[in-house]
Amino acid sequence: MADKKTEKTTATKTTQTVRKVRAIVRDLYQNAREAKEKGQPTAYTMTACQYDDILAAMDIVPVWTENYAGLSAAKRDAERFIVKAEADGYSNVICGYVRVGIGFDALRKEVGGIPENSPDGGMVMPDMMLGCGAACDPRFKWYQALGRYMQVPTFSFDVVWPRVDTDLDEVRDYYVKYQMEQYRGLVEFIEAHTEKKFDPERLWEVIRISDATWYKWWEIDQLRKAVPSPMPTEDHYNAMVPAFYCSGTQMALDFYNDLYEEVKERADSKVGVIPDEKYRLLFGGGLPPWHTMWIFNYFESLGAVFVMENAYRLFDPVEVPSHIKDPLEYMAYRSFLRWTLRYDKAAERSKSATVERLLEYIDDYKIDGVVTHATKSCRATTVGQIDWLRRLNDYASIPTMQLISDIVDVRDYSEAQWKAQIEAFVEVVGAHKN
Amino acid sequence: MTKTGLKTLGLAGVEELYQNKGQRAKELAQEGRKVIGYFCCYVPLELFTALDIVPYRIHGGTTEPITEADAYLETIMCPFIRSAFDLALKNRYDFLDGLVIPHTCDTVERLYDIWTYYREPVYSHFINVPHMLHASSFEFFKKELETYRKSLEDFAGKKVSDEALTEAVKLHNENRALVRELYSFGKPDPPLAFRSEILKTMIVGLGLPVEDFNDLLRSVIQEIKDRNEGPEKKAARVLIYGSVVDEVGFVQLVEESGANVVMDDLSTGSRAFWEDVEVTPDPLDGISNRYLDKIHCPRTYRPQGETPEQDLENRFGHIYRFVKDFNANAVVLYVIRFCDTYELDAPDFIDYMDSKDVPVLYLEDEYSATTLGQLKTRVQAFLEMFD
Repeated sequence: MADKKTEKTTATKTTQTVRKVRAIVRDLYQNAREAKEKGQPTAYTMTACQYDDILAAMDIVPVWTENYAGLSAAKRDAERFIVKAEADGYSNVICGYVRVGIGFDALRKEVGGIPENSPDGGMVMPDMMLGCGAACDPRFKWYQALGRYMQVPTFSFDVVWPRVDTDLDEVRDYYVKYQMEQYRGLVEFIEAHTEKKFDPERLWEVIRISDATWYKWWEIDQLRKAVPSPMPTEDHYNAMVPAFYCSGTQMALDFYNDLYEEVKERADSKVGVIPDEKYRLLFGGGLPPWHTMWIFNYFESLGAVFVMENAYRLFDPVEVPSHIKDPLEYMAYRSFLRWTLRYDKAAERSKSATVERLLEYIDDYKIDGVVTHATKSCRATTVGQIDWLRRLNDYASIPTMQLISDIVDVRDYSEAQWKAQIEAFVEVVGAHKN
Repeated sequence: MTKTGLKTLGLAGVEELYQNKGQRAKELAQEGRKVIGYFCCYVPLELFTALDIVPYRIHGGTTEPITEADAYLETIMCPFIRSAFDLALKNRYDFLDGLVIPHTCDTVERLYDIWTYYREPVYSHFINVPHMLHASSFEFFKKELETYRKSLEDFAGKKVSDEALTEAVKLHNENRALVRELYSFGKPDPPLAFRSEILKTMIVGLGLPVEDFNDLLRSVIQEIKDRNEGPEKKAARVLIYGSVVDEVGFVQLVEESGANVVMDDLSTGSRAFWEDVEVTPDPLDGISNRYLDKIHCPRTYRPQGETPEQDLENRFGHIYRFVKDFNANAVVLYVIRFCDTYELDAPDFIDYMDSKDVPVLYLEDEYSATTLGQLKTRVQAFLEMFD
């Protein structure tokens, strides 16, 4: 059973810049509602589909449904949606994000409008739903399931990448071609359901901004190698919002420029997250516990700072060949390069690009311990964690720990159990380091 | 293609093979045949056959506790996959020369990296199966199969000609026709065979070269035609819909609870065999089209229909056609827990069948024989409506 709420759910932020994020999130849903009133097309959307640039270029206002579930959890207001979805027959082991989303739209249908007091005013009824096959199956099954509650044009497409043991030279051309065709299908769908026309030049403009945005964000993470840590993981989970949900906008780029300056100043001045940084931790995977983000501060109270993370961190910079002149092909090629980054290293050592990234972080960020979060309803980010940690131990000697709860559902989360586990782990990290 | 032979045919042969799963494949391996394990029904078996490779559909074990896999796989995932990998960790699949895994669902996809890292098969290949059915999806899938073909040829040390592949297509179509004939025994009232007999035949067939499987099917079909015994007439005529059922305990339970199970739509049953591969000048055209589009599994996204009713028809209409063709009057939706695609379909499926006046019993199970008692209570309560 869930413990009674004893503290706030959000974490204390270190940097000033990320304090702007709360307003950005609020605006996401407010802007979508206003756009709808003005007749501007809105769409339910998923992260990691890598179609953000197309949406921005075609003036589609996205409503990020996974983000909304996380937001509901952070406000401890997810349960009513989860309970509704389960009452309608959806299994209690289905992705927590999905259950929140389905429950929200089920309640919307039941009450004839946005459910009362929905977090941040609720999600607008979209003009279309755009799913994809990237990362997990619920990304296209969720919107398909919503057909029972709302009659909204829905399009889904594949996002493909090969396995580590693939000869990339053999498959690259047809993988890129397929991805490009998938994006083209998306463009055709949007054109067919809106009055928007695709403009390649406009898309190039957006791509330039979004690439610059992601690059600046990556530069910030390079600064985070500093000791003591100038910016912790809990700030990352705010800082991710502009790149993930506002990519291709000048606002997002400006945000990271500001954050860069602040983090650089902190790094240069050796101002850490806490006065006495004893241990440096890596959040090694799994989605963050949106319902209990202050847990990162709890680690800090024990002298341990999460200095880097491997979740909601998709894209390091890649270099798309300059001969590519079609923006959709550019996006497809970029997607291929992003997914296959570190494959060379993986083939030589751990056979896993994820493990290679973790090993790289352990070295570069001087990591003393790795923590993952197994979320009971998210197979996409949970299955494989034990494997990663096993492989890490094949190539590095480092303490690891797996925390277990859910992304949004707190019904069987135990705060007391987590605290005891964390205290024991930090002791192990200390013993290992010393 | 090499002709092989089974020592015992008919239902006795089926029982012998069922009690000694993998025995035939091990014998063939000892004779020098290459044996490759695979998951799901999206791996084109024709390529194995054309290269004289024995395909072996990897199974789990509901009666065997998972004792090794916990150290590698999380508990919040498909228990069938955990069970199968547990058997691999216990060296039960050491007779396999290789592993082919298609991207069917999230869990199967992730298993590829884990299995290949810890078990280090001599040969392994991952086939990226699109979730979508756009025109470009078929083009991509054919390319993936071309890559797979080359990879398998390298492993086999020989090329497969289009002619040989076409012959394999025909042989597998013959196999599918035999399966459909076997399944037709479910149509009469009472049916001419127990579903547990039919499913057992399918389960063992998934571990045989197609020539052996065809011999076995012919013998079973003839035996059932010739015998005088069979199921008694019962009011409840059930179709079982779900993913993997690779042991017959659950099906027997339904039959013992007062129903005749007259049809299935299971990954280990009709779904893997129902549709033929069209014989095309380039055999990979027919193969890619059949395996991508003609297998109806919730992991494939059927494009949205123009109306909600049409959408449901696109997704579940084939099951209702089975219900009509086999004169079924109830459906058991048997889902292995943590299967997102089935679980997200379940409420829509139940509504769809409800609109056709077909009652559905929805069961989420743990893939463990220890749950059969609980399931029996649910099944019996469901079947009371037919008393």
